[in-house]
Amino acid sequence: MTSQKTGTDKVVREGNSYRMERIKRISQSFFLHIHSTRVHISSLRPTYTFGLGIILGFLFLILILTGVVLMMYYTPSVERAYDSVKDIVYIVPGGRYIRNIHRWASHGMVLIVFLHLARVFYTGSYMHSRKLNWIIGVCMLVITLFLSFSGYLLPWDQLAYWAVTIGSNIAASARELTDLLGITNYIDIGGFMKKLLIGEETVGQPALSRFFTLHVIFLPLSLLVLIAVHFWRIRKDGGLSCADFREGVNRESDEEKNKIYTWPVVMWAELAILFVISAVLLLTAFIVDAPLLEKANPAFPENPAKSPWYFLGIQELVSYSAFSGGLLIPLLYLGFLISIPYIDKQDHYQGRWFAGKTGMRTALYSLVMSLVVVIGQLFVMVRYGWLRDWFPGISQGVVMLVNPATLSVIGFVLWAGWIRRKTNSTRMASIALFTASLVAIVIFTAMGIWFRGPNWDFFWSRSQWPVI
Amino acid sequence: MLNRINRRSFIRRGAKVLAFVAGGVALASLLRQFFPRSTGQKRRVNLGRLNDYPVDTFTFVEDQKVYLYRDHEGVRAVSAVCTHLGCILESNDEGFLCPCHGSCYSLTGKVLSGPAPGDLNWFRIGGSPDGRLYIDMNSMVTPDFKFLIT
Repeated sequence: MTSQKTGTDKVVREGNSYRMERIKRISQSFFLHIHSTRVHISSLRPTYTFGLGIILGFLFLILILTGVVLMMYYTPSVERAYDSVKDIVYIVPGGRYIRNIHRWASHGMVLIVFLHLARVFYTGSYMHSRKLNWIIGVCMLVITLFLSFSGYLLPWDQLAYWAVTIGSNIAASARELTDLLGITNYIDIGGFMKKLLIGEETVGQPALSRFFTLHVIFLPLSLLVLIAVHFWRIRKDGGLSCADFREGVNRESDEEKNKIYTWPVVMWAELAILFVISAVLLLTAFIVDAPLLEKANPAFPENPAKSPWYFLGIQELVSYSAFSGGLLIPLLYLGFLISIPYIDKQDHYQGRWFAGKTGMRTALYSLVMSLVVVIGQLFVMVRYGWLRDWFPGISQGVVMLVNPATLSVIGFVLWAGWIRRKTNSTRMASIALFTASLVAIVIFTAMGIWFRGPNWDFFWSRSQWPVI
Repeated sequence: MLNRINRRSFIRRGAKVLAFVAGGVALASLLRQFFPRSTGQKRRVNLGRLNDYPVDTFTFVEDQKVYLYRDHEGVRAVSAVCTHLGCILESNDEGFLCPCHGSCYSLTGKVLSGPAPGDLNWFRIGGSPDGRLYIDMNSMVTPDFKFLIT
């Protein structure tokens, strides 16, 4: 009896020390203590988070490592840049492979940033104190896009030169608005932003120097700081977002029962994710080469001059109007993203994908609505032309404000307002608006990728492109 | 309020104001560096001899990004940069076409279709004393302005 009791004590004692050991592994390590010592089991359900956040973290790490290697061979001068990239591709041992990894990791990062945004939105994980972290996340989305944009200028090939020419003129297109108001001579916001970006009237050495500085120091450092704050806020806001928060369940006891130790369980899972994305990247980089076009020629743009896929949605929008497509609508969209946690405070939907059946139905209807509205307008535009084709000499103000992009925005806002009245739920309204705009982004991007050819004309397939 | 200012509070407030002013000036002068005054671009440029340019066609001048049009009476120059987002226009029999986003201009540089917010600029062409042409990128003229060949 006595020995049995001692035995149990021993087991308990050993168990306790084993647990303490696991807790210490995390809490005593500077690098690991961004994790909590224990994690709720439903935060780890693969179909809840898909591990998108940690994938982004690893991709950024891979981008820094490969970026540093590329930086050793790259020269940021107009005369040397293109040749130094060619050296990287054709001369430096393994250079092409490292550049490929860098390129595809950056594409992956853009894609997964959007997926992560959608995951956090659709599971309602932006409530209460997580508001701030949601906004930090939106800032990180913007920085990620700027990182990609500043990155593809650096090779100084045709894509680089014309993409940045177009990009800097999008910044300058605020002039369209100030021209309309007749105040450009007093406040030239467009000119100010363009000069801040590229330093001159046209893209040249100052632009390359500025983008290089942005790409290798300013933006990665900002992102690194924001990542640190982002992770820290997760801890402060009660740990990883947790699935299936049901009313009536005693949260405390439920949580205690279902928590598992971060060391080693979560660490193994994270290592597995790192291995999988490394494998995918290594394989992709082995099979597909990162594009490098002809050397930049300021006299002749490519026809069509297409940016990488993630900016083709915006490129489609600027082909309606530079100001509304390049500045107004992206800014409105960012404003909407940032305001989501303030519009929707219905926290009982937190942690449930699409907020249950009603939300799923709302999302589905919004998807169909957005498809019809956007594709309908694109059909009219491609088949019958748009305002300027019908009324030549129409004012630029009308061209700027009445196009498929702006009309879609108005339509979506009205739709969300209607959903809000019908369901009396802010959660449903924001699901409607978020889904509709996400679908629109996908459609405009698909239009830019597959259905636009020379002179930005519509073609069903690349095989129809005229030979120029 | 006034009588409550003593030496200590005066110095304290003064120090705060000074700190803000000094910080502001330092920041502004740093930011000023992002807007260099010199652009290194010459605005009045020699274009060579008249006979370098064929008659009745738009000839692209690469450095200035303009199309030069010479007929039997004189020479005109129109900007080859799309007013939309700065791509270089292609010239054809009906006018100018932007390869980037499909803006169309007439032969006089008027917007016909597409997203371009304004018409093309025409620049003043003149003759140097040595008999060569120059273009003044600062001087905008109407489409029918010609440098007359005498």
